[in-house]
Amino acid sequence: MEASMIWSIARKEFLLNLMTFKFAVGTILCVVLVLVFVPVLAKDYQQRLEEYSQNITANEAELRKVIVYKNILPTVYRPPNVLSVFSEGIEKRLGTSAKISHFDVPEVSATTDEVNPYMSMFPALDISLVLRIVFSALALLVAYNVISGEREQGTLKLILSGSIPRHHVLVGKFLAGLMILIVPVTIVFILALMLLLSFPMIELNAANWAGIGLMYIASLIFISAMYNLGLFFSSLMKQSAISLILGLFAWVIFVVVVPSGSIYLATQISPLESQEKMESQREMTIQECRSKELEASGKFPHWRGPKSDADGAFGTGYTVVCDESCLHDASKAYSLMQSIVSNYSNSIWRLELSYFDSLLKQKHLAGNIARISPVSVYENVMSILAQSDFGSFRSFIYNVKAYRDEITEYIRSKTDNFSSYSYFTICTEEDAKEYQKNIGPFLESFKSENEQDRERAADNFDKWRNGIMARHSPLSLQDFPRFSYRPGIAKSIKRAIPDLALLVIVNILLFSLSFVAFVRYDVRSD
Amino acid sequence: MTYGQIESGDIPMIWHIVRKEIFENLLSLRFMLSLILIISLFAASSFIFVGKYKQQSQDYWEKTNKNVADLSKNLGRLNDLAFFEQQIFHKPKLLALCVEGYEKSFPNYVKFNIFTIGLPEVKASVNFTLPYFSDVNWVFIISLVLSFVAFVLTFDSICGEKEAGTLRMMLANKIPRYKVLLGKYCGAMLTLCIPLLVGLIVSLIIVITSNITGISGLEWLKILVVVILSLLYLSLFVFLGVFVSCRATCSANCMVVLLLMWVSLVILIPSLGRTASNMFSETPTRVELNRKLYETERQMWDNSDKFGKNAGNSYADANDPRMNLPARARLYNALTNAKNGIIEDHHNKMTAQALTGRNFTCLSPTAVYQRASEAVAGVGIGRCTDFYRQAKRYQMNLKEFIRSRDAEDPDSRHLIFDEDNSRGAFDWRTISKRPVDFSTVPKFDEQDLGLGHSLKLAIWDIVLLILFNLVFFAASFVSFLRYDVR
Repeated sequence: MEASMIWSIARKEFLLNLMTFKFAVGTILCVVLVLVFVPVLAKDYQQRLEEYSQNITANEAELRKVIVYKNILPTVYRPPNVLSVFSEGIEKRLGTSAKISHFDVPEVSATTDEVNPYMSMFPALDISLVLRIVFSALALLVAYNVISGEREQGTLKLILSGSIPRHHVLVGKFLAGLMILIVPVTIVFILALMLLLSFPMIELNAANWAGIGLMYIASLIFISAMYNLGLFFSSLMKQSAISLILGLFAWVIFVVVVPSGSIYLATQISPLESQEKMESQREMTIQECRSKELEASGKFPHWRGPKSDADGAFGTGYTVVCDESCLHDASKAYSLMQSIVSNYSNSIWRLELSYFDSLLKQKHLAGNIARISPVSVYENVMSILAQSDFGSFRSFIYNVKAYRDEITEYIRSKTDNFSSYSYFTICTEEDAKEYQKNIGPFLESFKSENEQDRERAADNFDKWRNGIMARHSPLSLQDFPRFSYRPGIAKSIKRAIPDLALLVIVNILLFSLSFVAFVRYDVRSD
Repeated sequence: MTYGQIESGDIPMIWHIVRKEIFENLLSLRFMLSLILIISLFAASSFIFVGKYKQQSQDYWEKTNKNVADLSKNLGRLNDLAFFEQQIFHKPKLLALCVEGYEKSFPNYVKFNIFTIGLPEVKASVNFTLPYFSDVNWVFIISLVLSFVAFVLTFDSICGEKEAGTLRMMLANKIPRYKVLLGKYCGAMLTLCIPLLVGLIVSLIIVITSNITGISGLEWLKILVVVILSLLYLSLFVFLGVFVSCRATCSANCMVVLLLMWVSLVILIPSLGRTASNMFSETPTRVELNRKLYETERQMWDNSDKFGKNAGNSYADANDPRMNLPARARLYNALTNAKNGIIEDHHNKMTAQALTGRNFTCLSPTAVYQRASEAVAGVGIGRCTDFYRQAKRYQMNLKEFIRSRDAEDPDSRHLIFDEDNSRGAFDWRTISKRPVDFSTVPKFDEQDLGLGHSLKLAIWDIVLLILFNLVFFAASFVSFLRYDVR
């Protein structure tokens, strides 16, 4: 009996609102916006996906050309994120590639400066923009007159003169609001998904579906929080016009003032460590490493002998042939230098991490200030669930670091701790023994006046050298580790839980406040 | 006393309506809320601005003084001056108090010697983990919050009175409709002016008392122009509010329409800028730039004989017959010119891409207003290109200076070109090695644009704002004349 009363209030409210002007206009606006935004965003994603697969293919092609282990210098690429259509976060501000170098510092260089800096004047565009701005306004517009409007019309008096308790009325109103707002949110999500899937290149995997499902739930919780805010103002004020004004002011503060103001304030309260300082430290570490390397290689005077005289993979070269002393020295020098580099690359890694942490500190401060606005909390949840927040980027960087270590280990195992000749050259002991015999006449020929003699000597040497090159085919890198970055949704959910919980708490808090206000509400009309 | 008597008396009827509107507004909750909100925003933003400006000025002077100190330290001979790489930065602007123009993530630094100038770079602590945001400054508060308040004040101006039945009573008298409309408009505008002006005064007082810097006459004038622009901008929102209020059946519906209009005009259309630039213009990339630079260089070297025989050869002795220094100078100058051209072209493409999006967003009066105030205050993307231009002009001046000094030295070959070998490795004496007096060397100082020039940049936007005003005025006028007051 009681439940059915709540239900009939909810149904009445629902049907009443469904026919209203505000609901129609709001829903139509959302549909139009989704129709405009999604194809543009999907096309952009498709383009990034194409670039990504081209890069991957080019990288694979280079890997197939590798002749000596030293030349393995792959670049890894961050796959574009399809969920960025829903929430862009900082996805497009970050570099998409990282070059991996196992014998040099810095080992990983991830770029952020590929994009045109002047484009930063435009804010990010995604579906969550529509949701957080248009829907929050719509929720307030639906809610502002549920109590105060009924009082003005005198119908509230009629309802409460029955035997129905006040909290049932409020619960009914809340359920009605939720029901009415679910409609446009669902329309937007379904429409967006349909448009997205109509693009041939776009596929969604299970994790994507899970993310979208969670984003849908998060959107509902958010909309319900905004509705509760309106409900609170409505049960606080006697006139609906005043509830509307209060709601709108709260809205403009939440939507406009807090998101920008919090960051502006945070950048002032906790200024960043200067990037130049970090870079000069980094530069110093690199210099130090270089000089240590130089010192180490100085112990092996002949190692400078082998020139990289043939083109290898990834735009680097390798040594075809050299003499014995050079071969021995180089193998020892490379092995020694590798240990130096791995020490320094770790300290650079720590330097970079500490810089990231200082960025994160500022971001957290801004995020904490922004938590007074449910709109900002929701924005944050969306970007976490869409895996376009900084946390996801950081996990990419960690993956790259792990991959780099994996490559180093791979090469180490293949080259006997970087000391085997196959690390830097295709020259064998036997070839090195014959080196003097072959290069001697060639060097002698420079003294000769006769051009024909010189040419013949050069030809002979080249023939011998080409013979060595012909004996070698590219390394078979069947067991070479491949980079795969599949961000797990589980971690994202874990990160999103605090903010989601906060949204739920806001809901409960606002609903209890409206409950308290409504219980004491004076239903008499003027 | 009838209305007719008042009409013929000293106080025009319109003034009564205006007064009534203002008093009604002043006592309302919405006015109190906006007043508190806006004044506190102005005050908070000014406090933050003062701190930020102090920090920025300190950084700027540190870096600029370091550049000058390095210049004087390395300045032994004319030769060194020619190859010295200067590093210059954007000067922090006081008018960033009014509008900042997204400059925090724009390139603010450039390095150059007299031959080449690099691409402007971002040398600031930009936190890329934060989303794009706008500084909270005057234009932010006015374009986002006050425009909203304008709608809140006007949404029930006509249909609210109709609902209350007072509109019918008012129009039953002799007063012409247009006067009622103008009265409503003036009332709303004057009400809006109160938080605006109080906020501006609070903000200026905070800035002036913090003693960060004096405000020059030119800056006062520019501030005045920004205030006038703000009034124009707010006025169009008032007209729009009155217009929608004339068309709506009830004030609640009117607010719905206005709110959604506000969302579209102020937030959604400006967000479409990035998409528009990606759609309508090409994206210049670093890779492409590097490829072009590389190809040009190779092409030049392949055809080096075009500049004279043996232009490609270089030997330690300047009189070596295998070498042709004048031809080499021509080759190198052609090379630097070509490279500079490519870099400039790349920069132009970058700004063009951003401007395409900007032009598209000017469907929204908010973007127009922001662009106009940026032009007047001398900040934003226009300032960045102007800074680059000034750096180039300075580079030319310095080159002229070196050329004229070089001409005085009979020992020099007067071949000013950019090659490492002519610097130190080989003593070719292509540029004079006489000492120079540091005080005579021209130094870079960024100049602000004059008011006339700034206005010229903003003129189209001002015209657009006036046009928006006229259109919405005409619309509300026609709607109100045909309004059914029943």
